[in-house]
Amino acid sequence: MKLSFTYAFAVPNFSKWIKPSLVRNLHQSVCCYSLKSAPSTSLKPQIPLFLRPPTHTATLSDLKKWHEWAKSLASSVGTAFVDLDNGPDSSLLCRELKWLMEDVTKDCLLPCQIPSEKLQGNVGLRVSLEDLYRLWNQRIEERRPFQYIVGCEYWRDLVLCVEEGVLIPRPETEQIVDMVADVVSDNEGLRKGLWVDLGTGSGAIAIGIGKILKSWGRVIATDLSPLALAVAAFNVQRYDLQDIIELRQGSWFEPLKDSEGKLAGIISNPPYIPSSHISGLQAEVGRHEPVIALDGGVDGTDDLLHLCKGAASMLKPGGFFAFETNGEEQCKRLVDYMETDAGDSFLSVKIMPDFAGIHRFVTGFRK
Amino acid sequence: MDMDMQPQLSPNIIRIMEHRLSAIEYRTAFLHNLVNQTEASPAECARANKELRKLRSSMDLITHLRSKQKEINGLRSLLAECSEDKDMVNMATEELDQAVEGERRLHNLLFKSLLPKDDSDERDCILEVRAGTGGEEASLFAMDIFKMYEKYSQKKGWKFEVVDVTESDLKGYKEASAAISGADVYGKLKFESGIHRVQRVPVTEKSGRVHTSAVSVAILPQADEVDVQLRNEDLRIDTYRSGGSGGQHANTTNSAVRITHIPSGMTVAIQDERSQHMNKAKALKVLCAKLYEMERSRIQINRSKLRSEQIGSGDRSERIRTYNFPQGRVTDHRVSITCHAINDVMLGDGLDVFIDALLLQQEMDAIADFSSSQ
Repeated sequence: MKLSFTYAFAVPNFSKWIKPSLVRNLHQSVCCYSLKSAPSTSLKPQIPLFLRPPTHTATLSDLKKWHEWAKSLASSVGTAFVDLDNGPDSSLLCRELKWLMEDVTKDCLLPCQIPSEKLQGNVGLRVSLEDLYRLWNQRIEERRPFQYIVGCEYWRDLVLCVEEGVLIPRPETEQIVDMVADVVSDNEGLRKGLWVDLGTGSGAIAIGIGKILKSWGRVIATDLSPLALAVAAFNVQRYDLQDIIELRQGSWFEPLKDSEGKLAGIISNPPYIPSSHISGLQAEVGRHEPVIALDGGVDGTDDLLHLCKGAASMLKPGGFFAFETNGEEQCKRLVDYMETDAGDSFLSVKIMPDFAGIHRFVTGFRK
Repeated sequence: MDMDMQPQLSPNIIRIMEHRLSAIEYRTAFLHNLVNQTEASPAECARANKELRKLRSSMDLITHLRSKQKEINGLRSLLAECSEDKDMVNMATEELDQAVEGERRLHNLLFKSLLPKDDSDERDCILEVRAGTGGEEASLFAMDIFKMYEKYSQKKGWKFEVVDVTESDLKGYKEASAAISGADVYGKLKFESGIHRVQRVPVTEKSGRVHTSAVSVAILPQADEVDVQLRNEDLRIDTYRSGGSGGQHANTTNSAVRITHIPSGMTVAIQDERSQHMNKAKALKVLCAKLYEMERSRIQINRSKLRSEQIGSGDRSERIRTYNFPQGRVTDHRVSITCHAINDVMLGDGLDVFIDALLLQQEMDAIADFSSSQ
């Protein structure tokens, strides 16, 4: 497959009305039906709850009843999920419940704001009350990730839309953007260059980098999955970065043949979990997230090594790379490759830990 | 003479001030000389020029003052010489009055410019409210106080951002912090630091008995990483870690961050935001403010004892204000002012009564300091 394909999964142009700045403050209502005006061939990303219009109503007393039910369901979990597979405990679930209330009620109602004595009034909701019961049931009984329930993930200073089929960006990955910010802060050549985010998923890294480069540089974000690209396109437009970030479909470097030797930076969070670990993953991850974004082959380094191999020919001299890995073992493997197998192509190859102290990233420069 | 609002400085203060003005003139002449000397090193020149720039606004006023004083002397000798010419006397008297008034205005301007300024006054601030003695009732009042500052900030056109709130069982605030930004925020709010005492019948009290409880407020000037010379290697950042491999293995919505400043051992933990990055940014902001405040109070202790006894010295253990609900009054113990519209105060309207009085008090203290510092 060649490049282009670019905006076949075009985002309907309504997204320009729902700039994050407006939405986060006002929870401005948006007509989600305008989605239907999008070309029929395009994939339509789901609208996260907080961006939906408050077209439903419920009485305060019914909402309170739901909230009490949801809270007791969350409390009944105790530490069962923690013990089972390192999942969430009751207190975390209760906090998620608070955020769900915020996202779903018209005026970002908090549970404590439901008056205990006066319960006659109505409240505007972005989904029906029945859906609320269904959604919270999914959260607890099916272990559906909270981010898929509300349709978004708070990541860095962004609110990114996500849905089933697209990996939920991890907090660890936030640090990759800081590394890029560091590198370009005193290097104008890199700042004005062409960067790529390979396997962009929701577009998180590309948007994070795009906001740092501003109009100085450009980012190409690639993904194999048309759905991921549709979601990424939606997020890119919400942050008004479509002039800086271009989306291309294809596997790793495949859609970048026109940029060989020209890249200022290659960034990626590729699948890196060893295949044998997939079946034992935390239920939220293993049962609901796309395995294609997680499974990195027998020892988890299939894709990472592929990226390392490509980096030498794709980066321009002085170009920067940063890859996220599964931990110490993979980091060492990559550094070994970069320093010995890749000949004399790279310098300052480093392992960077995440905030939990796990060796998480490998970074370096093309000679 | 017109009863202009120009206050009359006492002869004593003018005498002290003239002393300082001569010193500034002398210093300026000395520096000019230095800059014009060919053998002065570039470093010396740069230092001298920097000091000259600092003295310039005072020097401009002094130059004006000197020419005004020359004019006054000229008019006085003119009056002495031609006391017979009535028209001349009238004219000269009128001009003299104007010149004296002009001199007074310049004296006042110079006086203000010589008073010590807190260079943090223009900074933004971090507000911290903490429930003290009094259990749930104290937490509920902490929430009321926190909201009072939120409303006051809105009225001033300042930005009020909640940083972190720890709720009590009855949804009061055990602890709450906010970042307030806008014009002269710290200068206005710095006197709010201290113990705020409340007397009222708590909602939890069935018998209707009045309780007394207390809330502590801290106002810290905001600072950035440069102000406090923060180095990355001095920070330890901890995040929630469930154990396990993290990364793609884990799905969590726990984004709490704790930052430890290793040299001072100070820690700040923030968990209110939905992303780790935002929690970290907030924690860093609070940490910088705390480190800056620590540095300021260290400097302040080194200053004269007199200064540290003044208001705004940041003594958090001082009881500064009482909110008495049954009597509908708020009393500030430092300026002995009572406001009988407690509801207005809680809505952020009546606070200016106290703040203005405290600012005035600060200026008067500075003047007293000035007069005794000859």
